[in-house]
Amino acid sequence: MHYTFKIERGNFTDAGQASSSVKRTLKQLGVDPANIKRTVVALFEAEINAVAHAYGGTIDVDIDGEKIVMVVADEGPGIPNLDLAMQEGWSTASPQVREMGYGAGMGLPNIKKNTDELKIDTKVGVGTTVTMTVKLA
Amino acid sequence: MASGNTFFNHSLIVDADLCQGCTACVRTCPTGAIRIRDGKAVMNDNKCVDCGECIKICPHKAIHVRQDDFSLIDNYKYRVCLVPATFIAQFDTKYRTRKIYSCLKKLGFTHIYEVEHEMETVIKLYKQYMEAHPDIHTFISPYCPAVIRLIQVKFPSLVENIIRVRAPFELASRSIIKTLVDEGAAREDIGVFYITPCAAKIAAFRSPVSGKETCITGVINMDFLYNKVQLMLHDSDKDALQPPVNHSLTSRDVLWPLAGGETVNFKGYQYAVDGLQNVINFLERLEDEAIDAEGLVEMRICDQGCVGGALTVQDRFVARKRLEYRAGVFNRLRRKGEHRQFTDDPEFFRWVSKEMEIPEIKPRSIYKLNDDYAEAFKMAERMKKIEKALPGVNCAACGAPSCAALAEDVVRGDASIDTCIFINPDSDSSKEAFRRIWGNRTKTNKTDE
Repeated sequence: MHYTFKIERGNFTDAGQASSSVKRTLKQLGVDPANIKRTVVALFEAEINAVAHAYGGTIDVDIDGEKIVMVVADEGPGIPNLDLAMQEGWSTASPQVREMGYGAGMGLPNIKKNTDELKIDTKVGVGTTVTMTVKLA
Repeated sequence: MASGNTFFNHSLIVDADLCQGCTACVRTCPTGAIRIRDGKAVMNDNKCVDCGECIKICPHKAIHVRQDDFSLIDNYKYRVCLVPATFIAQFDTKYRTRKIYSCLKKLGFTHIYEVEHEMETVIKLYKQYMEAHPDIHTFISPYCPAVIRLIQVKFPSLVENIIRVRAPFELASRSIIKTLVDEGAAREDIGVFYITPCAAKIAAFRSPVSGKETCITGVINMDFLYNKVQLMLHDSDKDALQPPVNHSLTSRDVLWPLAGGETVNFKGYQYAVDGLQNVINFLERLEDEAIDAEGLVEMRICDQGCVGGALTVQDRFVARKRLEYRAGVFNRLRRKGEHRQFTDDPEFFRWVSKEMEIPEIKPRSIYKLNDDYAEAFKMAERMKKIEKALPGVNCAACGAPSCAALAEDVVRGDASIDTCIFINPDSDSSKEAFRRIWGNRTKTNKTDE
């Protein structure tokens, strides 16, 4: 099953619709609550990252019998130092974003913690594509 | 429409003579538990959480809460009335609580017991549970039974966040029975009757989430007793005012049933969420970890808390004000030493801890389409396709609350796609499906004018 969602820069209010809709399907499939939680948390973090940092993008979710693959692709500044970004507490989020309760530097580390595979393709000045896989078995 | 085994024992009944099949309840039900069949509302027992929203919205007063026959109390020598503070909130503050209790005694009860008199113990139980589970980040209050059931069916991953302590009326019933037995009464001679403000509390005692036995003998609907007591308050009979067995309510006890009444008792960053849609939204975001709530989350299905219950009589804001007023009065009385003081008996607390424990709260997801993943996957794909084919206007003419709900009913084999009036209105199968949903109410184009 395939789902596509759009990401709009700075639109924190609508963020979470993708994870809510994916969550509903996973519940219908009878996926184990722990796996649902991992998927939804990772997807929401990735979406918030793109909303906060990028200019816009898309989310593509594919669910099959064995796994859930989520691709969050944005056009944006890219991540100059991926090793630093993967560290807990490191963040380049603006003060405005932090005021909304985001930007604590937990985004990417949290995604890594909640997924089985994580691939990040990033190019400074072009954009970032985050590919996350949660295995169901 | 009871499919397979039912998890819950519900108290809601649809009066088929009054029900017009107007779909008001179908659309408002938070778990999509109601459909129209043969022109009447039908409930799915596995989906219903007894929140009572259908009772509140029904314009024909066709949905009732089943209650025990009042004459049941005559079977007992000791007839205890468990009175929640919400009941007191229904009456004008010019009547002393003792006057209200006197009326209940005249109705046949031998003992009046205030449900919230031991909230101090309940708070201690919550704190004990929270300290024993340092790994849990967010604790959800177990006070509102409809919230527990909503979490079981809609948010199964959050069941482990519920504090596993039974409802205060379970503590009150045990305390009074213990007191009476200690005084020499035979257990079988004692009947304990609880005045309920809502359908959820009745269901909670009929099929407790704990799976443990209840000590409540019967339940009486608040609106029913209100009418009886209100009549008596008007007559000028000046009997001696009757105090309850446990005369000890404090302001914190009285305020407990109101929204925010629990969280004030806990230090730190607490959340008090009331109102059905607010509760659902909060749980949804909690599940996504989009809300990072550390500590206690109090949740009440009814707006303003228990004073908003479906069986209450008084406007919830008026009732709230009245309880706040009485809270002040109780505090003054307490300072004057008129009320019983608390006893902090460790042995009593050990006994209570055991009695009040809920061993397990099971998730009971209503979403799962099939136990077999591959089959569920096929059904979900089909559902998505059907949903796309449906008009998306959510007109409920098919007897389901939305197009998505009809799509689900179709893949589950509970409905046919012909029931959608937009798909093929003139086919014979559509006409037959319509007759099944709405009965014989088809109107012709001609009028009598």
